[in-house]
Amino acid sequence: MSVPDVPARSAGVIHDLGFRHYDGPRLGRRQVVRALFVESTRGAYGLGRSTRSKIMPFLLLAAVTLPALVVAVVLNVTGTASLGIGYAAYPISVLPLLSLYVAGQAPALVSRDLRFRVVTLYFSRPLRREDYVRAKLAALACATAVLTCLPVLVLYAGALLAQLPFWAQTRAAAVGLLGCLLLSMLLAGIALVIAAVTPRRGLGVAAVITVLVMLTAVQGILQALGQDQGNAGLEHWSGLLSPFTLVSGLQRWAFDAPLEDLPDPPGALGGWVYLAVALAVLAGSYALLVLRSRRVSVS
Amino acid sequence: MTTIEVEAVSRWFGNVVAVNDVTMRIGPGVTGLLGPNGAGKSTLLNMVGGFLPPSTGTVALDGRPTWRDEQIYRGVGLVPEREGMYEALSGAELVLANARLHGLPDARGAARRAIDAVEMSAAADRPLSTYSKGMKQRIKMATALVHDPAVLLLDEPFNGMDPRQRMQLMDLLSQLGEQGRTVLFSSHILEEVEQIAGSIQVMVAGRHAASGDFREIRRLMTERPHQYVVRSSDDRALAAAVIAGGSAFGVELRADPAGGGALHVQAADVGRFSHALPVLAAQHGVRLFEVAPEDESLESVFAYLVER
Amino acid sequence: MGPGAVIARLTVSGLLGRRRAAVLVVLPLVLLVLAGVFRAVGGQDLRTAVLLLSTLGLGTVVPLLCVVVGTGVVGPEIEDGSILYLLSKPLRRSLIVLSKLAVAVATSWALLVPSVLVAGVLLVGTAQRLAVAYALAAAVAAVAYCALFLLLAVLTRNAVVIGLLYALIWETTIAGVVPGARVLSVRQWAYAVAEAVAGDEAVRQGVDSDVGLTTSIVLLALVTGLASTYAVRRLRALRLGGQE
Repeated sequence: MSVPDVPARSAGVIHDLGFRHYDGPRLGRRQVVRALFVESTRGAYGLGRSTRSKIMPFLLLAAVTLPALVVAVVLNVTGTASLGIGYAAYPISVLPLLSLYVAGQAPALVSRDLRFRVVTLYFSRPLRREDYVRAKLAALACATAVLTCLPVLVLYAGALLAQLPFWAQTRAAAVGLLGCLLLSMLLAGIALVIAAVTPRRGLGVAAVITVLVMLTAVQGILQALGQDQGNAGLEHWSGLLSPFTLVSGLQRWAFDAPLEDLPDPPGALGGWVYLAVALAVLAGSYALLVLRSRRVSVS
Repeated sequence: MTTIEVEAVSRWFGNVVAVNDVTMRIGPGVTGLLGPNGAGKSTLLNMVGGFLPPSTGTVALDGRPTWRDEQIYRGVGLVPEREGMYEALSGAELVLANARLHGLPDARGAARRAIDAVEMSAAADRPLSTYSKGMKQRIKMATALVHDPAVLLLDEPFNGMDPRQRMQLMDLLSQLGEQGRTVLFSSHILEEVEQIAGSIQVMVAGRHAASGDFREIRRLMTERPHQYVVRSSDDRALAAAVIAGGSAFGVELRADPAGGGALHVQAADVGRFSHALPVLAAQHGVRLFEVAPEDESLESVFAYLVER
Repeated sequence: MGPGAVIARLTVSGLLGRRRAAVLVVLPLVLLVLAGVFRAVGGQDLRTAVLLLSTLGLGTVVPLLCVVVGTGVVGPEIEDGSILYLLSKPLRRSLIVLSKLAVAVATSWALLVPSVLVAGVLLVGTAQRLAVAYALAAAVAAVAYCALFLLLAVLTRNAVVIGLLYALIWETTIAGVVPGARVLSVRQWAYAVAEAVAGDEAVRQGVDSDVGLTTSIVLLALVTGLASTYAVRRLRALRLGGQE
């Protein structure tokens, strides 16, 4: 069918169809990193993702906080003089739940990005590899920190309501919270490194849990063995093996936290070794993640 | 000779209706399932293939419902759209494994014939992880053909194929159709369907929009009333002339949101209208600034077919 | 090569990818290394051997490995759609499930039984039939675990997490605290088998279970059978395609 000639439609011309190029001010690298960080942190609790992905994080949050709530309530009702469980000891008591949380969320944060190479899209923006790693690490650490700190805060609130001595409780809670923060960073680092090298999500979850559970089990066994054999060295150095005992060991050494059943860094150097190992784990996981993100190719 | 019978079938996922009251019979030969993306073609193919139950209605092969009946696969070959495969194997090993799973007496021979039919003999011994997308498609075809099925279901088989591979596949499908098999494939590209499909089923937004011979559908499409937008120096005079001249069903003077106005013409006979318009304009001293068709997209064609 | 063997071969090719194999090997290796360390440090002590084989062996290594293997024989195939190649054949779904279960059990046994045996022998030699007791317990636990986790993988995409929740939270924490719940724990049934085989001294040192032997064996068989049957039913009605 022939249509009469129309001026605007001659061959070989690119038409302005109204596509608007953005010429305005753009936010800088900082804001890009911040946006990635915020989105990842929210994603670690399923916010901004499907409804299904909210179940596990919130379930675990409830499971972790519930015992603390019970203890706080019992404390207020029965009026005993002290909390049944110390602030610093709480994370270890809910160890499996914390492990499950990072095991579940770390692959959700990085496995898909790396496997399907969505990361390359990130890097074509003003986002450097180090920024990506920092944002993801910080996000998982913060998300885990919520999980670890919330019960401690609940306990603290309960203690204050029960009118236990203010400064003693505050000091103990502060020690506990510091420990929670360090623990969150350690767990986030370890989990992300493992998740970054296991492409499939299911395998990533299993791998993180395997590592964390194995470390904890081995540490516990070595500690028990040391106690049985009267081998104090074995008993107290075993704490280096698991991030949980690493943190509790530091709390005992630096702040004299009441954690009798857990390893105590021995001798004059023990505490410094513990500290060095903790920092090495943090630095090492950062470096490994940067290395991994550099090795992602485009095709 | 196998017939696919789809009877008043609907399928919904929560609030989304993917297939909406579709009825069709598909017999031997090559049939194209045509429709834009999201029309429900894949869903329908999955139901015919026995991997999705219809929410209402029945899907049957020669009278046997396809859902939960693994024996239908004796005579049905499926070429899925997804690329998931056992990457560690080679192409030949995958086809051979499929032949053995069918319980074929001469598995090796059947596998070799299938690989030759899709022209993959040269690359068959390389691992699947090294294959390009087109090669994977062809190996998928081989796995579907290895047991000589009477029915072949293909979901967007020409995706990712270069022109030469596409020609080869079209030849293969035409041959299979001529052998009396029932070949049903889906596509959203008119030209692909046009070249090999004897009959076409058109689906739009889950509804069965049109069916029949391709030429018939093409004729229906070209005979539909066309919409034109005309901008001229005197729209009203032109409108009166066009209506008086008789080459249009109706005219509408609509104010343009951008300013000015435009004449919307529903032309009955495109040929007549396009000859008549300049003549009328010249006769009444009207300058034509713009004449453009308003509904040339495939979507509007489909939409028109749906409304019928 | 019959269809069952072909299914097994396809399953194995998918299961033993590099990363998964690494995780699978690490677990029994840790058990062996620790057994070696214990032997070097502590000599042959029955109590520590029981502790190690119970908590680390049956309590951690066995369920973790079975989660990876049990979900790995069918989960990835469902996730990327390659299970279509098995389902679009005139094969009985029970054959598919049983072939995959066989691969899972064979892989777990190959990894678990020798390592538990060697660990036990390293720790206490052949005293008290401890090594054999725990190896047998690991074997029966593996069968039930693999059937359960295979079913989970057919049911949901989050099979690994749920399997881990069961193995780590339920069996360790809840079943450890709530006495009634212990009847519903594969680990306790496995302990009962170990208790039956091990010598009396070992039983006194802690190789015991809260569940009786007959009950345990019945429950193990029941769980395996029910899980497999339900997996077959769900596989028959597996939906592919449609909405992702």
